[in-house]
Amino acid sequence: MTKSLRYALLAAVAVTTAGIATTGGIGRANAQDLVFLSTQLRPIEEAQKVREMVLKGAPKTTYVVDEPSPFTVRMKAEVEANKHTVSVVGALHGELQPLVPMGALDAIDDVAAKVASRGIPAGLMELGKLGSGKQLYIPWMQATYVMVVKKDALPFLPAGADVNALTYEQLAAWGKAIQEKTGQRRIGFPAGPKGLMARFLQGNLYPSYTASMVTEFRSAEAEKMWGDFKAVWASVNPNSTNYDFMQEPLMAGEVWIAWDHVARVKDALTAAPGDYQVVAPPAGPKGRAYMPVVAGLGIAKGAPDRANAVALIEHLSKPETQVLVAKELGFFPVVNATLPADLPAGVKLLSEGVAKTQNAKDAMVALLPIGLGDKGGEFNKVYFDTFQRIVLRNEPIKATLDAQAGAMRDIMTATKAPCWAPDKASDGACPVK
Amino acid sequence: MTATRRLVFVSGTLALCAWVLVPIYLIALGAFGGRAGAFKWPKEIVPSNASLDALMLFVKIEGVWNAAVNSVIAAGLTMLFSIALGAPAGYALARFSFRGANAFRLLVLLTRAFPLAILALPLTVTFIRIGLYDTPLGVALVHTALALPFAALVTASLFTGIPRELEEAAWVFGCTRLQAFRRIVLPLALPGIAAAAIFAFVISWNEVFAASVLTVRERTLTAYLLTVLAESPLHYRFAGGFILIVPSVLFIFAVRKYLFAMWGVSSK
Repeated sequence: MTKSLRYALLAAVAVTTAGIATTGGIGRANAQDLVFLSTQLRPIEEAQKVREMVLKGAPKTTYVVDEPSPFTVRMKAEVEANKHTVSVVGALHGELQPLVPMGALDAIDDVAAKVASRGIPAGLMELGKLGSGKQLYIPWMQATYVMVVKKDALPFLPAGADVNALTYEQLAAWGKAIQEKTGQRRIGFPAGPKGLMARFLQGNLYPSYTASMVTEFRSAEAEKMWGDFKAVWASVNPNSTNYDFMQEPLMAGEVWIAWDHVARVKDALTAAPGDYQVVAPPAGPKGRAYMPVVAGLGIAKGAPDRANAVALIEHLSKPETQVLVAKELGFFPVVNATLPADLPAGVKLLSEGVAKTQNAKDAMVALLPIGLGDKGGEFNKVYFDTFQRIVLRNEPIKATLDAQAGAMRDIMTATKAPCWAPDKASDGACPVK
Repeated sequence: MTATRRLVFVSGTLALCAWVLVPIYLIALGAFGGRAGAFKWPKEIVPSNASLDALMLFVKIEGVWNAAVNSVIAAGLTMLFSIALGAPAGYALARFSFRGANAFRLLVLLTRAFPLAILALPLTVTFIRIGLYDTPLGVALVHTALALPFAALVTASLFTGIPRELEEAAWVFGCTRLQAFRRIVLPLALPGIAAAAIFAFVISWNEVFAASVLTVRERTLTAYLLTVLAESPLHYRFAGGFILIVPSVLFIFAVRKYLFAMWGVSSK
């Protein structure tokens, strides 16, 4: 018995040593590849599509994905150690912002000139300067948040309500009608640990009622808003606090009306496009707010292979590549490209839903937080905590808002972030009234 | 009387088996049932359209084998280092009384007191500077730091459980300290040491954060796949869970004898 154990240990040592020898070789062979580090398109299936399809025709690239927090740590570490592995970074606007003060992003005005003819809207290109005056990232792809409605829910729509132009009151009435007739609470929100509930509060709910994300945080309009949202929540599936991606509860039939990021409902839509309709999120008294999401491509300062990095960005911003990404991955082009008619039915639903959201009469743009640096997480937490206290724990609205406004003010003073849309521009830190 | 006892015994055993096996079976069902099967309710006992697609996807992912090899190397090295360093420490704690032995016992746990997220940045910077960044060796060193306290404390209790008299008898018969250790103590302690080694292996195998911050190309399997598992569709999560469960269940089944040794029954 002991003897066999000893052999087993010896074998383990042998395997390990052999392994080190071989990976040493592999490591060297890989070393010429360009490293493309991305916080987007992380899930296995999507990363695989990027490797197999999207990067075809680009310079030989190793596609590596990271969650946002290790991403920032790694970029900072490479700057501090002044040795670079990563050449191209792909991340959301808000995730690229913290890289600016640490000097991790190279100015890429040359790349901007090369892709100038691709028709990226000037507004998006301006975002890519991250407030520095130089081009720091090239817009890569965009998305937004939409509402997905299962057709089973349509018969219960309250009289006079248009599913493409809902208000929050109508949503509450709709959910209530479904609950009364079917006995189930069928509205769903991604309020789970990895869900994007905070984005709903920041980008849809708050601006729709107050035309503001920060300044009017504890205004009278905000109080009314929380009252109305509590009415909606009465018909929301109680499992919502476990939902991260709404595609699962939609597919399981637990939820009929769901709000989420387009990439997080895509699976449900591709699996059964005939069952769903994608509509714009509800409107409040001030408009129908929505939050566009922009991901960008940057080059690391000191990139080991800048020439190929430029070539990779050029490849990714080609209209063909952008259409391919839309078709396969559900993120929409930033360049001037017409989506082909043969889009998969699920993606087609999504692109129509996005168009309905952007082109609604009362549409209002609410940008992702800008200039919060590493306080972005705390900013989200203020909204989520407020939601938890008011809606889930039933605490008094006014007192809670007053307390949470204090936390919000602290973040704004600490970061000195000026207001972003839909709040009016400010000198210095965005005020919380 | 005996019949009743038998009934209780059998039903108890069955309940305990079901306790473990039913969840594993449900995971397997989700893993093989494909996209639609994961949502079907009520579940079928035997999946009607079983497919290996979800499982095959894992195998086919580019770089997954390299990542698996990296994982084995990192975990293997962690196992070696933590035993090579931890077992002598454990022996010292068990056999010698020295000043600060109790403080040492406590302090050795300190490596687990600091969250890795705080250490990540300085650690990464240092690793880049000294060339350990993006190597399985670097990952193994960090994992060794995490596994070391367990290795030291587990082996300490093991060595305490082996009577000192046996060792002394060996000295009387002319063994040197080293010979006595090698011929008397080590064979008795080996199953327990193996268990501690397995534990170190598992710690390294499952660790995500350090492994993903410290590597870019040479990722471990956990860092390469499992960080993104939570964001994948349900049937992939089942498939990933299945891939994780099966080897560990088989592994534990194979070494179950030695695992008991870890809880201090080796010398009895």
